[in-house]
Amino acid sequence: MRKITQLAAVGAVAAAPVSVSAMDSSDPITLATHNWSSQIVMTHLVAQLFEMNGNNVELVSTDSQAVYESIRLGDVTAELEVWEGAFGVAFNEAMEKGGLHDAGDHNAVTREDWWYPMWTKESCPGLPSWEALNDCASLFATPETGDKGRFLGGPVDWLKHDVERVEGLGMDFVVVNAGSAAALWAEVASAEPTKRPVVIFNWTPNFVEAVWPGEFVEFPEYFEGCKDDASLGPNPNATYDCGNPADGYLKKAAWDGMPEKWPSAYKILTTISFTNPQIAEMAKLVDVDEMEPEDAAAHWLEQNEDTWRPWIEGSS
Amino acid sequence: MADGSETVISCRDVWKLFGNHPERYFASIPSGHNFDDIRNDGYIAAVRSASLEISRGEMLVIMGLSGSGKSTLVRCLSRLLEITAGEVIVEGNDLSALSEKELIELRRSKMGMVFQSFGLLPHRTVLNNVAFPLEMRGQDRIERRKRALEMIELVGLTGREDYYPRELSGGQQQRVGIARSLAIEPDIWFLDEPFSALDPLIRREMQDEFLRLQGILGKSIVFITHDFDEALRLADRIAIMKDGLIEQCDKPDQIVLNPATPYVAKFTEEIEKSRVVHVSHLVAEPSGDIAEMEPVSASATVRSLARRLISDASEELPVVDEQGAVIGVLKRQSALELLYGERS
Amino acid sequence: MISAEAVSDHSRPGRICQGQIIILIAIVLALGKFILPESLIRPPNWLVWPFADWINWLFDFIKDDLGFIFVTRAFAAGIEWLLDVTANLLYGRNRWPRLGPLPWTFIAITAAMIGYWLNGWKLALLSGGTFVWIAVMGQWKWAMETLSVIVVAAPIAVLAGLLCGIAAWRHRWVERALNPILNIAQSLPHFAYMIPVVVFIGVGPKSGAIVTIIFAAPPMIRMTLLGLKKVSSEIAESGMMSGANRWQLLWQVRVPSARTEILVGINQVIMQCLAMVVLASFIGMPGLGQKLLQLLQALKIGRSVEIGVSIVLIAIMLDQCSKAWVVKEPKHFEKGVPWHERHRLKLLWAGLSCLAFLAAEFLPLADQIKRTQALTVYKQIDTVVERFIILADPVTQWLRGFLIRNVLIPMRDVYLWLPFTAVLAFVAGIGWVIGSLRSALICLAFVGMIAMTGWWDRAVITTYMVSFAVLVVIAIGLPLGIWASRARARARLVLLICDTAQTFPSFIYLIPVVMLFGVNDVAAIGAVIVFGLVPMTRYTIEGLRSVPPEIDEAADMCGAAFRQKLWKVRFPLALPTIAVGLNQTVLFSLFMVIIAAFIGTQDLGQEMQRALSSTDVGKGLVLGLCVAFIGLLVDHLILTWSARRKVALGIS
Repeated sequence: MRKITQLAAVGAVAAAPVSVSAMDSSDPITLATHNWSSQIVMTHLVAQLFEMNGNNVELVSTDSQAVYESIRLGDVTAELEVWEGAFGVAFNEAMEKGGLHDAGDHNAVTREDWWYPMWTKESCPGLPSWEALNDCASLFATPETGDKGRFLGGPVDWLKHDVERVEGLGMDFVVVNAGSAAALWAEVASAEPTKRPVVIFNWTPNFVEAVWPGEFVEFPEYFEGCKDDASLGPNPNATYDCGNPADGYLKKAAWDGMPEKWPSAYKILTTISFTNPQIAEMAKLVDVDEMEPEDAAAHWLEQNEDTWRPWIEGSS
Repeated sequence: MADGSETVISCRDVWKLFGNHPERYFASIPSGHNFDDIRNDGYIAAVRSASLEISRGEMLVIMGLSGSGKSTLVRCLSRLLEITAGEVIVEGNDLSALSEKELIELRRSKMGMVFQSFGLLPHRTVLNNVAFPLEMRGQDRIERRKRALEMIELVGLTGREDYYPRELSGGQQQRVGIARSLAIEPDIWFLDEPFSALDPLIRREMQDEFLRLQGILGKSIVFITHDFDEALRLADRIAIMKDGLIEQCDKPDQIVLNPATPYVAKFTEEIEKSRVVHVSHLVAEPSGDIAEMEPVSASATVRSLARRLISDASEELPVVDEQGAVIGVLKRQSALELLYGERS
Repeated sequence: MISAEAVSDHSRPGRICQGQIIILIAIVLALGKFILPESLIRPPNWLVWPFADWINWLFDFIKDDLGFIFVTRAFAAGIEWLLDVTANLLYGRNRWPRLGPLPWTFIAITAAMIGYWLNGWKLALLSGGTFVWIAVMGQWKWAMETLSVIVVAAPIAVLAGLLCGIAAWRHRWVERALNPILNIAQSLPHFAYMIPVVVFIGVGPKSGAIVTIIFAAPPMIRMTLLGLKKVSSEIAESGMMSGANRWQLLWQVRVPSARTEILVGINQVIMQCLAMVVLASFIGMPGLGQKLLQLLQALKIGRSVEIGVSIVLIAIMLDQCSKAWVVKEPKHFEKGVPWHERHRLKLLWAGLSCLAFLAAEFLPLADQIKRTQALTVYKQIDTVVERFIILADPVTQWLRGFLIRNVLIPMRDVYLWLPFTAVLAFVAGIGWVIGSLRSALICLAFVGMIAMTGWWDRAVITTYMVSFAVLVVIAIGLPLGIWASRARARARLVLLICDTAQTFPSFIYLIPVVMLFGVNDVAAIGAVIVFGLVPMTRYTIEGLRSVPPEIDEAADMCGAAFRQKLWKVRFPLALPTIAVGLNQTVLFSLFMVIIAAFIGTQDLGQEMQRALSSTDVGKGLVLGLCVAFIGLLVDHLILTWSARRKVALGIS
């Protein structure tokens, strides 16, 4: 707006930052967004917090696995949701190569695994044990999978090892990847009227449990080495013969150059911590209330000023 | 026109072969190989052992059917094609010895060429097409505009300077081509079938226009055509080509009267010779008294005397040259034979 | 791609006989599967070479050991600077020159004026209207994000293509080296380009721009080369005789004379850029594509349709404008036309732009329209779509179930059941029958390479999806084309629709199928079918309509009824052209199958997405090459056949 005045002022104000955090670089902080709602909203939300702090922020949409390589190289400054189950491996690999570090945990416990809505239990009463699930595999059969059961996994790029697990545990299931998270919810929604049994990929914190009560399938408990050492676990010839960690972390990751370049923003980043219900709420704003992510973030900030005010005040 | 003046272009024993490594093949070519033998070896002999001389101010027409090598020959004379063997001397320079820079310099100062399909640059206006050669040699804008406008006026296109080629008729486009080729005031003017792409009426008009221009400019000209009538109409001398060989190179009268080969003779058969042959070629020693009679001009064609030959029954008519001096007689018998063909 | 040797037809009977013998071997191998050793059924381990590891090693070597990553990063930094400028001007990203964002009214006016200058008020309406729609629908920022990349990528791709084209024209060896590279490049799926770019450049708009440049340059190279070759020798000679040196000859004579082809190349570059920019959302390219991707994944049909309309409008606008530029010839003004008349359009533009800036100064709505102020119809669209879906649901559900149970799964199983040796023999036999020994070897090489990559089963699934889609396309497209070709006006209309549809980025085709079938295999195949239908219909019409009228009249005078004439006269003559259409259909289908992977398929595309996610260059390229080999195989067979047919029929 006000082009002409702006034109005149261009030379003068060129790069003057607007706020207290004069020590932060005026270069934009780049945050990555991925393809699930809570992450997108949280990223927008933090972006708005940074902006309040006087930083320039830019969002790029990236692949959720590739992002760690980008952070390492400084193309992306920080990642706000590092789920242990899904991204622990990529995160650790990148950390070993150097260039990114752990910027603290959220006050949340995460779990990602096979999940079913409560009504499924009616037709397969042995649940949540995985052996019981395997015994009623034919209940989950669809045209695509023949007489084997269908497990609807997340989008391909989440790089889950469900296929390996099915093989490792010798289950009568076929893994079908949904195109998106929304396709997972659509599947549950379509099963609801007829109480058709379904088993899908799900995680917590998520809004889903508020809408459809359900449980995670109990696989052989996760242990160190399950993913790399075939000899361990129930099947001595296979890796991934275990469930995902039931109490996974949810971390933030930051580029090594961030503390130096944007010290005050970095301080905010390390202070930020969201809880399970807060994260579920963020996802709900978009997935159920159909808000645009920006608007959802703004809405959340409006409602929860008590939560975030201390975070940015601590920084300046 | 051509008599006794200096030679502008001379080419000696020029060969042009197309194929892989033509030089290597040329070195090993068995003597006595004709066009078809060479073709069987996988080469096209577009020009074979051509020798020509063009004097200053002369118009040489190279005539031949398509594929006879005439267009290749003219491209050898302008070094648009590198020759396989022989030599071409232009204004005392051995053409193949020139460096690229010298060649470009020669073209920028001495040569102009007109093409069958005009070769106009479609993205430039008439004015900018004509000014193109001047631009190439780096003349400044005002000067080249002035010169280009002069040329456009010369070819009668004034008022169309800002047109684009596609907005002009074929005849007009060729006028632009002519204007462009003349813009640098070349001494040597190559015309490669300039009127072949035009329809017959326009062609005739353009030939007249061309003769008018040549009357003013007096360039040394190499003119290519496949139209024997056109050749006869324009030429000081005609070279007739077939399969890369020059079959005969001579004045039109000589070609018509004394075809050197059966191939040339076939062309001349269809021609109304009396239109071509000038009285000077039939001059004979007087056998009787001719003093009383009204003389005929040596430069007139026999055809133009037809009426008189029929009405005037005298056996011999005196012939005078341009100065009015009597140089001999025209025998009525031989003139009538030429007019109506020999009695068979 | 077809040498003269392949077209010569002297050894026909022997050739067909040998080919048939090999096909027979293939059938025997298939029938005798149960007694075959395992190593003849699936590619044995010794045959599978670790190409991916080699490529990864090579990339690491180039990237880290040779330090190439610094070169690419420096290049990317240059691109980023340009992107920052356009991003600032178009949507006010906070970068130098910090002037933007330009008011939307100004951009709409400029677009309308360009449209008017190119082809009168209709095009003005289209280009101006496109921007008005985008602004009014509140998609301005997204659209400008997309356009800011095209504005940078297209000129660079054009320049790069032009220079490569010139190099190829000047040096025969460059052309020879480029030709196979271009063939493969043009049959590599989009994703295969993205992975190396992510490795070397990273994610975000600059990678989007770079992948777009790489993807869009090949057609420009082709068209430049074609254009330069077509410049008549007389024009070049007239330039030489005008005393032009090499440089002048190239830039002032040859290149301007190849204007038409070069402009066609530019049109293709622009359309490729748009297609890629939309897809580059997979590597973090913001804009309309990313929005569409997110909305489609979230199954928000109404909003997807709104975005889809914008993308389609932009595609049509860019296509029409660049095509109008191809045919726009310079025109002169008559003498004595005053200065302001000559520059009427420029003056008008300047005046209107001033007005736009003034309006923006005082009326915020004329500057930027915020999303809260924007119109939207997605709720209405959603309602309509929902009603429609409820109505159509029994049909689509039934169709889906039927297709999966009775057609797709059995077909897939048959494909997977075939021993790979039988496939190899079959393909070689077909190659021999259609072409020559050389064709047979080429086909064998393509399929053999796929077997050696270790992705045999995935490739077979891709093939099954493509072949099913292509069969459906033939079943629909051929009759549609025949029907359309019966009347001139109808043919023109259908051709227009096809031409327009062909300009849409492939992503767009996913909207309606996701709407109808949801996110699954049938939807993916549906998208492939819709996408592949376009070239099939188009070439059928063109083939039938280009049958010489004398032949048509001769058939009439022989008393052929319509049906007889169609099947006995016109169809055989049109077949070579239709075959070219079929070829394009196959290539289009392959691309679409790969893109459709993100709505859940089990083929090469899915693996390719995985490779993209884990930035595994080697795997990505190997998979890409598998797709390219399938495409090139079909391309080789069809084009060889079609060229032979054309020679036999005496049409060129």
